[in-house]
Amino acid sequence: MKSLKILISLIVFALFLSVGISNSIADEKDGKAIVDSKKCGSCHKMQGPPDKTIADVLKRKAPDLFYAGSKFKTEWLEKFLQKPTIIRPAGTVYLNNIKMGDKKDEIGDVKPCASNVSAKEAHEVTEYLMTLKEPTMKTGVIVDESFSKAKAKVLFGQKEGCSGCHRDKADSGGTSCPTLYNAGERLNPDWVFDFLKNPQKYDPKIWMPRRELSDEDFMLLAKFLASLK
Amino acid sequence: MKKVSLIVLSIMFLGLMITPLAIAEKAEDNYKLYCFQCHGSKGSGGGINAAALSTAPRDHTSATEMKKLSDKDIFTAIKEGGAAVSKSTFMPPWKSILTDDEIKDMVKHLHKLCNC
Ligand code: HEC
Ligand code: HEC
Ligand code: HEC
Repeated sequence: MKSLKILISLIVFALFLSVGISNSIADEKDGKAIVDSKKCGSCHKMQGPPDKTIADVLKRKAPDLFYAGSKFKTEWLEKFLQKPTIIRPAGTVYLNNIKMGDKKDEIGDVKPCASNVSAKEAHEVTEYLMTLKEPTMKTGVIVDESFSKAKAKVLFGQKEGCSGCHRDKADSGGTSCPTLYNAGERLNPDWVFDFLKNPQKYDPKIWMPRRELSDEDFMLLAKFLASLK
Repeated sequence: MKKVSLIVLSIMFLGLMITPLAIAEKAEDNYKLYCFQCHGSKGSGGGINAAALSTAPRDHTSATEMKKLSDKDIFTAIKEGGAAVSKSTFMPPWKSILTDDEIKDMVKHLHKLCNC
């Protein structure tokens, strides 16, 4: 009697699980179809390899998405796709968006991502984008959240000059690059760690040079950014 | 038939050999993409990031400023960053992006900017 009960509950559980899995596989497929029909690929690279020359970088219309599943947090992505906000104050390639002045350059017009999808579509596109992984990235690297905020701030704002290019607050920091004041909502900390160790692995011509730091310091920076929400 | 495909194959092989692994960029193009953001489009320090820097980026058009630096200092500052020449850490190290040859070309390019 007892074993029958267990067997039945196991079968029910297995059914439940398989429906769940096939549902998300269906979402993934629908998501890919939406990406194709909305022509996300007309602006974004949906497949590697990344650009290898400056000439190609200057033709770039939008950030690469072929490792989106490693880079982003699911909840953020789903929200963003429905109502994109500006992440890069001077656009995807700042050089294409500056008004060159005699004394000072100014940022010209910048538009957010053109994604315009319903909540259901955003869910399906997210399921699909989350399957696009960077195969060499280690997961489970940043596990705990404890770190010295004071030390991290010195690294970010002084020793490594990160704030010269990035905003860690809405109103302070450089503007040629993505804002990081909501990095904790947006980015997967394991990806941040992997990216910081070698930005050129993801984008050989990106205008963020690699800093030579210990894994410990890279981890500290990744945890600091994960705390910005 | 066989001969033709052999010729085609060897041409393809030659093509592969000629394509360099990393393409060396022109100093002007490197300067635009990597240095404009802080040093500005005129090289005089008016980049869009300049306001966020606690030390002003060097004015590359100022002969008096640039003459104070030897080619070796300039090379080291670009390759290893400001900290390597006891200057601001906001000047990043570029060796992960620029090759030694590209940095040498960059030093020449800076001499053009300051006319010195
Ligand atoms: C007309 C060009 C265009 C189209 C079409 C477009 N995007 Fe974008 N997208 C952009 C630009 C430009 C940005 C950068 C915005 C910023 O940084 O402020 C962006 C940013 C993004 C980001 C954030 C990337 C990052 O690294 O920060 C995601 C995710 C994204 N788009 C997904 C999509 C999806 C999915 C579609 C199709 C439904 C799509 N986009 C269609 C131009 C486009
Ligand atoms: C010289 C300018 C510059 C400096 C200095 C710099 N970065 Fe970046 N950073 C960039 C650029 C450019 C990108 C990529 C832009 C893109 O994806 O469109 C980037 C991307 C990032 C990203 C990924 C963000 C995203 O949404 O794609 C993180 C995280 C990051 N930087 C952290 C740092 C940290 C930490 C430091 C200090 C150690 C630092 N950066 C210093 C220019 C810079
Ligand atoms: C994140 C902003 C930033 C970027 C990007 C940047 N610089 Fe600088 N640079 C600075 C700052 C700040 C100084 C001033 C350092 C000081 O006076 O302490 C400086 C100083 C210099 C100096 C003078 C060094 C010395 O010994 O006085 C040279 C040469 C130089 N930069 C070249 C370059 C080149 C070439 C590039 C592009 C490959 C570049 N910089 C990109 C911020 C930047």
